[in-house]
Amino acid sequence: MANSKLYKGSLVTIILKLLNGSNKMYGYEITQKVKELTRGELKITEGALYPALHKLEAEGLLEVEVRKVDNRLRKYYKLTEKGNKETVSKLQELQEYIKTMQVLVNPKLTLE
Amino acid sequence: MVRLDKESILFIENYLENSDVFYADIRLEMTDHIASEIEQLMDSENTEFYGTFKAYMINNKAVLLENNKRFIRAADTSILKRLFAELFKFSTLLVFALVFFVSFKWLSIIEVEDLRDYIALFPMVSIVPFCIIYVFALNIFKMPRFSGIERLAFLYMICFQLFHFLSSMMGIYIQSNNNFYIVAITMSIIVTLSLLIIKITLKIMNQYPNDYKFMKSL
Repeated sequence: MANSKLYKGSLVTIILKLLNGSNKMYGYEITQKVKELTRGELKITEGALYPALHKLEAEGLLEVEVRKVDNRLRKYYKLTEKGNKETVSKLQELQEYIKTMQVLVNPKLTLE
Repeated sequence: MVRLDKESILFIENYLENSDVFYADIRLEMTDHIASEIEQLMDSENTEFYGTFKAYMINNKAVLLENNKRFIRAADTSILKRLFAELFKFSTLLVFALVFFVSFKWLSIIEVEDLRDYIALFPMVSIVPFCIIYVFALNIFKMPRFSGIERLAFLYMICFQLFHFLSSMMGIYIQSNNNFYIVAITMSIIVTLSLLIIKITLKIMNQYPNDYKFMKSL
């Protein structure tokens, strides 16, 4: 597994991006999707995921829908209007960060 | 793909409840997460429920219980954030100004000395409604405990201490028989904060039955 500290600051952006790409997702589904997309390189623990989801919900970026699925209740999260705007802004921030890091670790590349 | 039956789900839920995961909303999400993990393990390793559950809990119980504490902290932070968001709204400022104006006018026409007897009751107002709701909801109606609602007690306790402090300060100013504008400001703070707490409480209490309406069907 990769250095989780490096990914910690990007957790919110990862969650928002995943939710932006689908209608609604539940916690376990998010962890599995990240694992699948990164081929097991990044594993989001429930200890990091759920507090982040609850924080985003409290900030009004996510809304919740509880449904009965497979003999149990499942809490789905989906982006609100505010959440969609925040996703665009967070992704832009992340792209800028990646560009800057590329310039720092590989000075031959330019920002253009 | 293996799907856990109702009995197994209930077993997980009871296990979590007995492990001090009191709040229904937190337990619901944890139960689903654990059930999903166990289903996947049972599928990939071709094992039965109880053995898989036992092995999973041996490895993950400490982390899960730590998560429970994080969930509770997240609920507290969420309530405080709501309060701060409300504090800086224009409507709050308007209510504060209105209460200040009414209080100041009222103080100029009443016998202020009598007010001291009632001031001591102000802090009680913040805690009594919660206690009544809590006792009725949990003991009589046997309602599920939701983190957001129950952690409101945290906000009530902070306000109780603050109101108690402000009321003591107000008593000193009343004794000095001047500076009534300070008394009016203090009264405005208490009334405005109390109204905000009521607003937040009602919002949270309305939100839960709406978000968790499926809870009754289990």
